[in-house]
Amino acid sequence: MRDFEDYCWRDLVSDEMRAIYSAYVRERKLGPQPALIVVHPGESAGDNAWQSAAARLLEEARRRAMPVIHSVSPDSTPVEVLYSEGEAVCARPCESAFFSSDLERRLKAHGARALVVCGAPTSGALRATAVEGKSYGYKVAIAEETVGDESGFLHKMALFDVAHKYADVMSLEELLAQL
Amino acid sequence: MSVERLWSDVVDAPTRALLARRKVLPFRGKRPVLVPVDLYDLVYDGGPRPVRELMAEYPASCGEFAWRALPPTIELYRTARASRVPIVHVTYDTRKETDPGGIHPTNRKRRQPDLSLYRIKEELAPLEGELVVYKKRASAFFGTPLPAFLNELGADSLLIVGESTSGCVRSSVVEAWSLGYPVAVAADCVYDRSELAHKASLFDMHLKYATVMELAQACELMRNA
Repeated sequence: MRDFEDYCWRDLVSDEMRAIYSAYVRERKLGPQPALIVVHPGESAGDNAWQSAAARLLEEARRRAMPVIHSVSPDSTPVEVLYSEGEAVCARPCESAFFSSDLERRLKAHGARALVVCGAPTSGALRATAVEGKSYGYKVAIAEETVGDESGFLHKMALFDVAHKYADVMSLEELLAQL
Repeated sequence: MSVERLWSDVVDAPTRALLARRKVLPFRGKRPVLVPVDLYDLVYDGGPRPVRELMAEYPASCGEFAWRALPPTIELYRTARASRVPIVHVTYDTRKETDPGGIHPTNRKRRQPDLSLYRIKEELAPLEGELVVYKKRASAFFGTPLPAFLNELGADSLLIVGESTSGCVRSSVVEAWSLGYPVAVAADCVYDRSELAHKASLFDMHLKYATVMELAQACELMRNA
């Protein structure tokens, strides 16, 4: 696995900042009995490069019969290339996929103990979902290519914060190797 | 807008341009409540020195940034109390029996700090009759009676301060917004261990969830409450 700091935020973060955050550097791994949460953006989430990576992750998750739950904002529909007929859709009225939704109940029904979260925007719904997922006691993993934001700066800073404090961030290949 | 100088040196122009589409609830409130998050001794540990000099000995300290925010936060409290704006203090729940082990607000590697360091800093200590919320997670709302306290107090808006900007303050602001409160953040009274993380989250909160303002404006809104 790549060095803890060798991800998309590397060009924004100084050596001094890396040193200040060194207490957060740790081994990263996918937790047991994971479910995949796909956070569909409510509006523009920049270019769609993240969608093809997320589609690949979904394909692998489906092949392994991993539970998949789509979190959708009320003013939008699921991203077509990510949704497959019959998969669970869970309405998200605010930012976190957990807030005021039945996501936690659905995760219980699947016996999920860990989460993989993908989607957009990184600095909005995705981040809020990762933070609340951790708060609920799930181990959370994120593949950096599978999340996106209309601002590159906000994308990198959100992933930096999330990787250090709340979730295990890795590359798609690194995550797939652990499925 | 004057608050833009708070982040203009780190947030690039295309990202700052997103503010044109800002859809934050306009800040207005006749009954604001002040919610300071995690202002305990641990983050002031080692004194007002650069964080990099403190991290080996005091890995949870925000050093100079914590100390810089102390006088404005004292002034904010003084104004809140004089204006009869309730303060609901939020701190970490240190009880052993509420800790399942291995699950913490963040993934920081922890040397178990002296638990007495989670005492709220003396200058910011709750007065007799003020409420305190003890939390185990990042957000001040997660698994706590804070939503009920705010309903009972009749809060119609929140002023959130404390630390860290990118961690517990931010997640509390997101949840406050989700609950429907107009949220203000007093920039002089929030801080982080890194200025980059601090400024990025200040900007992002202002863009999505809250109205970031300076101390004078925050004091004014409480005096007008």
